[in-house]
Amino acid sequence: VDFQLDEGQLRWREEIRSFLRETVTPQLLDERSRHGSENPGPATVEFRRKLGEKGWFGLTWPVEFGGLGLGPVYQHILMHEFEYAGAPGPDLTVTSVAPMIMRHGTELNKREFLQPIARGELRVAVGYSEPDAGTDLASLRTRAEPDGDEWVINGSKIWNSLAQYATHEWLCVRTDPDAPKHRGISVIMVPIDSPGITIRPLITWADFQTNEVFFTDVRVPRTNLIGEPNKGWQYITGALDLERGALTNAGDLRRAVDDLLQLARGPLPDGTRPIDDPDARATLAQLDADVEAAVLMGLEASSLLEAGQIPTVTVTTEKIFTSELRQRIADAATRMLGMSGLLAPDEPLAPANGKFQKLYRSAPLLRFGAGTNEVLRDVIAQRAYGMPRYGR
Amino acid sequence: MRIVKTAEHQEFQRSLRDMLADSCSPALVRSLKQPDSNGFPARLWEALRAAGVFGLALDKEHGGEDATLYELGLFFEEGGRALCPSVVYTTLQAGVALRRLGGPEHAECLTALASGELIGTTALWNPSDAADLRPTLSARPIGGGWALDGTLPFVQNAELADVLLTTATTGGTDGPARMIGLFLRRPEPGWSVRPLSSLAGDKQSHVTFDDFRVPAADLLTGHDGRGVRQDDLRWTANAVLALQCMDMVGGAACVIDQTVAYVKMREQFGRPIASFQAAQHLVADMRITLDAARLTATQAIWWVSRGETAMRQVAIAKMHCSEAYKWITLNSHQLQGGMGYVRDTDLHLWSERAKLTEVLGGSAGTARHWLQHELGLTGAR
Repeated sequence: VDFQLDEGQLRWREEIRSFLRETVTPQLLDERSRHGSENPGPATVEFRRKLGEKGWFGLTWPVEFGGLGLGPVYQHILMHEFEYAGAPGPDLTVTSVAPMIMRHGTELNKREFLQPIARGELRVAVGYSEPDAGTDLASLRTRAEPDGDEWVINGSKIWNSLAQYATHEWLCVRTDPDAPKHRGISVIMVPIDSPGITIRPLITWADFQTNEVFFTDVRVPRTNLIGEPNKGWQYITGALDLERGALTNAGDLRRAVDDLLQLARGPLPDGTRPIDDPDARATLAQLDADVEAAVLMGLEASSLLEAGQIPTVTVTTEKIFTSELRQRIADAATRMLGMSGLLAPDEPLAPANGKFQKLYRSAPLLRFGAGTNEVLRDVIAQRAYGMPRYGR
Repeated sequence: MRIVKTAEHQEFQRSLRDMLADSCSPALVRSLKQPDSNGFPARLWEALRAAGVFGLALDKEHGGEDATLYELGLFFEEGGRALCPSVVYTTLQAGVALRRLGGPEHAECLTALASGELIGTTALWNPSDAADLRPTLSARPIGGGWALDGTLPFVQNAELADVLLTTATTGGTDGPARMIGLFLRRPEPGWSVRPLSSLAGDKQSHVTFDDFRVPAADLLTGHDGRGVRQDDLRWTANAVLALQCMDMVGGAACVIDQTVAYVKMREQFGRPIASFQAAQHLVADMRITLDAARLTATQAIWWVSRGETAMRQVAIAKMHCSEAYKWITLNSHQLQGGMGYVRDTDLHLWSERAKLTEVLGGSAGTARHWLQHELGLTGAR
């Protein structure tokens, strides 16, 4: 056990911090607060280019695939620092989809997709959920039928975030309608500009754009199927573990509590100081202690990954804990800041540019997204303690 | 940064767990709580001596094992599982305290503590707030030594202990009031001890001193001969708190294991109650709070073990451990229903330990005050 960064890790963190000091400009932060990650403006595009130059998209990829071959702890440190700084880090294409291609893809899949991903040129929208297949994902009905050298795809996907920005759909489809539901699913890479794709925006409560995407007789080459047909379920459930690990870094939580501590010490627009209230002080200390635990959960998960384990329970615990903590931070902040905490981001008097009222609206996503916390609690009971499955 | 236990540490813990399973049964724990028991587990004590546990974190020159407080923390984690009797803990804590606060003249006593020949206890801080280091005893200089007056509240195992480490405030003729550390040997016929009947049956007493004479040689002089300093005392308090947190983590994990075994076996409506989602979610929540407690406690003992005061890490660990252990026992009562509620079954033994350790040294609320202070949200204490 070692709770301190070693010399190499310290140097790594310093390298990241100095990169962020140079590249995270006020324009970038402004763009991020206005548009999030889903509609990147010029500053975000420029930032991603510099990130690609560093080779940091392929941070944990093996050297043979053009990556830097760094371990999960190094990746974790990078994600933490990026989230703390509010910078757009390597996204799901890099952290989740690419490793799946490396592990399960055909030789052609690897040649065709990995290099463009490493250069930041290939960006996917993840097409899993459907109107009737959400938490019960294996019930998905979008189908792909073989026709000569092509797959013909029909159906629709929902909560398809980033479709407006992606170059490809990473699409889960049914390729064997007669097999048991978990055994007839495949993953196909579909260029987003293929004829027959329609994107309908859905705007969330947090102003974040997600989409419903329709596929009508969309044709892609047979070779775009990832790995082998009908093995998609085992590929993507592996990826969900990685995705949860990547999604649940506590860097943004550490930043939120640090920002709140700073706000609470100074006078609000009405002249009061939150820390003069003993309740507020107790709440701040509690949030600080909880963020500490969240950070440790992430470091433990990445340490276990580095030791060659698949820490399903640890990552699941971390996902539930961080997502619920995010909501509690936003709730505590909006109570502590009073009416001024509700001000919209473009109001000049809004504390921290309205960050906390926005966080209040964005926090629900990660409680039900990437595996709803209720199902994940089942996962903990069943995987950690062998409690019985009951029909899932 | 590497939060993974080494194979050696896992093996070490397994051997401790086997030893405690053999010599520290719930039946023993139950018998020691009885009012007519003196709280001394003779067979367990011999097993611990044979395993070198008493000298684990003490130096080779005193017959110790030269391991660190982190390894001693692993013992506390296993001790928490088995509800290791408090007299073992207070003796280990006395060793940790004497190593930090004593001078060369206490080498012999350290050696005796390291081998388990002496039983020890400490009263070095407010038992309800370990960050409060103000002595409750006063000391008057008299004939080259000291006369002590006052009461120490809530001393564990005072009736059994051969030695007691405590502090006093000086007054009288030798200049301004200051704190002195004292290494007291049990006199014949003994201290004035009033045993207290308390929730966990853990041998708490009030110890009263009335013109109690202490030779000058029994002062704790510190390694540089300048006496006990606040920062040494603060480190000692935090070391003991971090060890206690490790005990709480082990106890909480053991309660979850017992709970899961019960709900898998117990059937209602024709199926094990473990198959109900409501039961699974309660267990998952136990696990989540346990993970937070385990990680923060391990972090605290690791930093203290490196000689750091680690006030922030200790405060955070105590906040998590106090609430986690308590709620895990209370939710275990919920899941085990009547079967966990009767005194014939053992769950209440852990529930009592959880409540005791929640409050001992300071509750989560107390620890939150320590953290507020660390965060600069409140002024100097």
